[in-house]
Amino acid sequence: MNFSFKEKGLIASLVITLLVFGSYFFQVFANLQVTPSEQNGFGDLIGLVILVVILEAIIHAFLASQYSTEIEDERDKLIQRMSYRNSYWFLIIGIWVLLIQFLATGSGVWFDFNYLAIFTSAYGLAHLLLLLFVLAEVINFITQLYYYRKGI
Amino acid sequence: MSQQILADRVGVTRQTIIAIEKDKYSPSLEVAFKIANIFKVPLGEVFNYG
Repeated sequence: MNFSFKEKGLIASLVITLLVFGSYFFQVFANLQVTPSEQNGFGDLIGLVILVVILEAIIHAFLASQYSTEIEDERDKLIQRMSYRNSYWFLIIGIWVLLIQFLATGSGVWFDFNYLAIFTSAYGLAHLLLLLFVLAEVINFITQLYYYRKGI
Repeated sequence: MSQQILADRVGVTRQTIIAIEKDKYSPSLEVAFKIANIFKVPLGEVFNYG
């Protein structure tokens, strides 16, 4: 299966995001009962963001050196717009679900977050929001790959 | 004419030319007219709808 420059870049970004943030969220959500004073705060997160930026820069620089003639045209821009729209809707719906859930935690609408101490803290809420942002980005990458493969 | 030469003259990537050929992308009017002009044929001879 032949992949274009854009597709290879998207696959690389997708793999980096899944591996780096996947391991981070696994670690965070696996320790749900840890009290806030025992949590690492956001120090690890800043390190992860820097790691992602460095890895992306290295891989995209390598790909650019292999495909020096590739430019961005109207099809690329259309695919980006359509994919950003998909991830935007995912993010909006996710934030509304989170908001309604938190406003109605007392009545236990969908999930009983009271069992999960982390979600009731600012640390937990920030990580849930961060998870939504990362998932929205993953959806952006996957839908771009889909449109490049299946057409628009 | 190769796909790369056509792509360079139109100002799009070779991948976009391939997608147009495979009917996986409907180009803008600007790109459609450029392709027709390069082959010196009416637009309707290169593209059709329906």
